[in-house]
Amino acid sequence: MGQCSTKVKPTAKPHGCKSKASPCGARKTCESAQTTVEPLEWFGDMISHCLEYAEAAKAQGKPIVGIMCEYTPRELIMAAGGVPVCLCGGDPDTIPAAEKHLPSNLCPLIKSTYGYLVEGSNPFLEMADLVVAETTCDGKKKMFELMAESRPMHVLELPQKENAPAAMEHWVKELYGLKLELERRFHVRITDKKIRRAIGVMNTERALRRALAALMKSDNPPITGRQLLDFKSSISCLPEDFRMYDRALEIYGNGCPDRDLAGRVRVLMTGVPMAHGAERVLELVEDHGGLVVCMENCTGLKPIIDDVDASAGEPLDALARKYFDLPCSVKTPNAARRDSLRKLAAEYRPECVIELVWQACLTYDVETYGVKRFVEGELGLPYLRVETDYSPSDSARIAVRVQALFETVRGKAKSPRGSKAAGALKPH
Amino acid sequence: MLYAGIDAGSRTIKVLLVDADGRDVVASGIRDQGVDQEGLARELFTETLRSEGLSRRDVKRIVATGYGRDIVAFADTTVTEITCHARGVRFRAAEAMTIIDIGGQDTKVIRLADDGVVRDFAMNDRCAAGTGRFLEVVAARLGVKLEALGRMAAMARAPATINSTCVVFAESEIIGLLASGTAPQDIAAGVQNSLATRVSTLVRGNIEEPVIFTGGVALLPGMVYALETALGQSVAVAERPQFTGALGAALVAAGR
Repeated sequence: MGQCSTKVKPTAKPHGCKSKASPCGARKTCESAQTTVEPLEWFGDMISHCLEYAEAAKAQGKPIVGIMCEYTPRELIMAAGGVPVCLCGGDPDTIPAAEKHLPSNLCPLIKSTYGYLVEGSNPFLEMADLVVAETTCDGKKKMFELMAESRPMHVLELPQKENAPAAMEHWVKELYGLKLELERRFHVRITDKKIRRAIGVMNTERALRRALAALMKSDNPPITGRQLLDFKSSISCLPEDFRMYDRALEIYGNGCPDRDLAGRVRVLMTGVPMAHGAERVLELVEDHGGLVVCMENCTGLKPIIDDVDASAGEPLDALARKYFDLPCSVKTPNAARRDSLRKLAAEYRPECVIELVWQACLTYDVETYGVKRFVEGELGLPYLRVETDYSPSDSARIAVRVQALFETVRGKAKSPRGSKAAGALKPH
Repeated sequence: MLYAGIDAGSRTIKVLLVDADGRDVVASGIRDQGVDQEGLARELFTETLRSEGLSRRDVKRIVATGYGRDIVAFADTTVTEITCHARGVRFRAAEAMTIIDIGGQDTKVIRLADDGVVRDFAMNDRCAAGTGRFLEVVAARLGVKLEALGRMAAMARAPATINSTCVVFAESEIIGLLASGTAPQDIAAGVQNSLATRVSTLVRGNIEEPVIFTGGVALLPGMVYALETALGQSVAVAERPQFTGALGAALVAAGR
């Protein structure tokens, strides 16, 4: 990871060092960290680190492999000596280019990703030696057909029936097919040993990210949900990222927040992923008195809750098991999503649930009805569904819904009649 | 001491003052929204006070609500119109369970819990179809004033079907209907029906009575009937429905 060290700014001010007499001993850590950049700043510059890393890897002859879904096992690509890069688009500006080919009434994540292809403006996609696509959504599946016209592509077919042995068997075969394709295309042999090593590294990253997310269980979390969302990279397992995760845990893990976030309304967000650049709704939630303590989606906890069994006799089977069990709305009946929500609600103690749905995301949108019923009925929490796309034109409307939700939550907390449910959103 | 609610809506601004127990509305005022929203709200507030021989010192606390609530810088705090409508309606009709609020650019259905707290709510997304603005566009297209639209609809023989879920498309649809010789009365009635149908789809038929109708659109004759028909339930118009949000804000200011 030497190529990334040029990015480190030795003069950067470490986090949490405002107070000289820090009650929790953070000062010592801060002093010892004078020579390093702080983790939030590091991950704020994530794209350029990934780009440097990918370019260096490419120069060394390592294949760059684009992926677009958490069902795709990065471990197999890493075991092939490749670099898996997430291609999910979060930029509204690439959507007009995409709409030259794609219908406007389509998920913005798909359109944004494809718009980068039309514009040739995603450097990771441009340097990709292969794109591993999947059938986890009909919109993506058909978009991938168009992308395959100009990019080498391998499609993973994800069976959709939850807990079905035949579906699982098929998924194992699909992963085996990917393994063969990677071996053939990149002239490597993917041994069990290499897969196990990749599993180990990925498990380490998952554990680090889980530990950071778990800090939000506190009554007074040390960071915001928006900050937590930044703690990840388009390329997994960058060695410098690992150091930064450790460092972040060191800074925030000792219960020494530099801000008082205890008074905010605790929110669990569920639904669609918030790709890099598409964090607007989360920001609206936190700008209006909320604190997103838990993200049960693909850019949050969903893919990192479970590890892969590193000791399994057949590592490919272990990979298949872990990834097949992800509770995406494409699965049916996707009962695992409710189990996960139940567990997360107990651990993170949200006061309400906000579900984000990208426009035209059919499966997530249909699931909202059942999720709302579950959240209100079984979890006993207020629920709000926000359907939007990447354009900010409805931000004021979303804000009013979020604020009204929080007023209800606060009203309930203060008095049974809710007579004091006032804003507290504008200091006076 | 008095308490003020200011509802800075998308089409009109409303000011309402209540006394400490919220029982008496001491003064109220309304004017059209414009470019200088803060200035207009301030002017209306001052005028409303002056009309009753009052001054700013008589007002202990001001709460702003509505789409422009954050622009009302002289308010002490802001509360969303959803909470304010719930408060305003429940204060006058303690048994109310559902509120339908149709304003200038938003349509909201608010469901209340037994204790009057907002249980949940649904509102239109980006599009303004099914809102007061939609009716304004239609009235302009039919060459009548907004107030006359309801009377016109009452004379319909066979209400036209308006399918479009977008103001712009609905307008084209209306132009098409006019061109094909459909009576303006039938179009007006069709528009009211489509608006009511949109409200019923917003809540997926999940409405508990009593239903109270608030917002400026509630003033239009015929809208209540259209809503009752679409919902298959009885709907009552709130007292001074345009002021419900401002009343709720004033009550929040008074701690009621």
